[in-house]
Amino acid sequence: MSEYRAITIRQGSGGFGGPLTVKPQEGKDVLLYITGGGAEPDILQKIVELTGCRPVNGFKTTVPEEEIFLVIIDCGGTLRCGIYPQKRIPTININPVGKSGPMAKYITEDIYVSGVTNNEIELADGSEAPIQSEAKPAGGEKEFKYSADKKVSETMGETSKSSFIQKIGMGAGKVVATFNAAAKESTNTILHTIIPFMGFVSLLIGIIQGSGFGDWFAAMLKPLCGNVIGLCILGFICSIPFLSCLLGPGAVIAQIIGTLIGVEIGKGNIEPSLALPALFAINTQCACDFIPVGLGLAEAEPETVEVGVPSVLYSRFIIGVPRVLVAFIASFGLYK
Amino acid sequence: MKVIVNAASGFMGLFDVGAQNLIGWVSTIVPKVLLLLILMNTIIALIGQEKINKFAKVCSGNVILAYGVLPFLSAFMLGNPMALSMGKFLPERMKPSYYASAAYHCHTNSGIFPHINAGELFIYTGIASGIQTLGLNEMDLAIRYLLVGLVMNFFAGWVTDFTTKIVMKQQGIELSNELK
Repeated sequence: MSEYRAITIRQGSGGFGGPLTVKPQEGKDVLLYITGGGAEPDILQKIVELTGCRPVNGFKTTVPEEEIFLVIIDCGGTLRCGIYPQKRIPTININPVGKSGPMAKYITEDIYVSGVTNNEIELADGSEAPIQSEAKPAGGEKEFKYSADKKVSETMGETSKSSFIQKIGMGAGKVVATFNAAAKESTNTILHTIIPFMGFVSLLIGIIQGSGFGDWFAAMLKPLCGNVIGLCILGFICSIPFLSCLLGPGAVIAQIIGTLIGVEIGKGNIEPSLALPALFAINTQCACDFIPVGLGLAEAEPETVEVGVPSVLYSRFIIGVPRVLVAFIASFGLYK
Repeated sequence: MKVIVNAASGFMGLFDVGAQNLIGWVSTIVPKVLLLLILMNTIIALIGQEKINKFAKVCSGNVILAYGVLPFLSAFMLGNPMALSMGKFLPERMKPSYYASAAYHCHTNSGIFPHINAGELFIYTGIASGIQTLGLNEMDLAIRYLLVGLVMNFFAGWVTDFTTKIVMKQQGIELSNELK
């Protein structure tokens, strides 16, 4: 018997779940792969080398579940991706699919990882205990289909290697699954962020337009947004340090002002060419409220945050009005 | 009684205007943005973040790359707010400047690439819907927005280099210029 080692598998680009740390054991050392109609996935070889486990092609044969320590699948999110997590067997999906399909509720971070390529697999550093899957290990006396002194690849012979057609199939499958996952993610974004905001702004527009408040507002907006000097003043106000922090959150204020300007442009009260400088004028305060978080995302030191916050506020103030002016110059010839 | 009826129908009228507006947006903006989002998210998933990480390390040596090219690509690939995280490949002193540029990039490119900042899309879409109402081509605006942004966002980063120096002097803090 070869020596078994633990590996850690992280999620890949666009993937979900993990990281999983798994280790094969005596009597529980089967790596089951059920991919692309029996073709070998790219990551198979690496896992076998690192762990010393026995790969088994799920399309060719079956093994008792107790012997499986890890499963590789290439499910696009319809069914297969939930089966093994449901049985609490650690599962790798080489497609970037998250909680999806009829068994979505079983797909959890502690048992499932997706979007995995060779780059996401490495030997465990020993800091985490390997997952003990709940299926009980079988007794050691069992007769195995594959003998331990013979390489699996030899046993399977040439038939198990991925053929050209299988490779094309798996490639196409991956692209389709990625599209499908992206579609789900995008629909979520639309449903949970864009449409609610549209509803909120539409209500505001209804109230503003329907109540006659709109005419009053347009009268106020026109001197400010109807010419370049007004836009510079607007940009200047928005970029004043510390006021800019208050205007920032969620860009809600900028979005509402933008929408109102859009309405006035549509009515012909504001020149369409001024749309370009207006885009810059209403957003000179861009992300001023977010500086500490943004620098945190960039793993900045505490001193950097201390310097960075006033520094960005000042630079927004300096660059704000010039941005409006440059945009105004760039708007010459627009919609003429 | 008549007063009450008038008040009630006036009240409902507010929602009629709003609802018409909403239907207009849902039937024009939503399908287009959704399809664009799907395509962009797919491309991003297929390319993967590691390639961008590699590129970011190359960019740390050059101001134009660090405040002009890297934030543009990061915004396209990672969107708001994860684009801001790419500053981690730059030395401490450049991080505020990268932030200044990248945060702007999360807006100026959203005319053509709405996936970058879907949650704050209406800064652009709000104004652009006026252009649409007039029957003009919105792309003229979107492309100029992107191009002016590309130039001015770089300057926004570059100017921050100077303000960072001033603030460092003010506070007596020295940030390292070395890449870790």
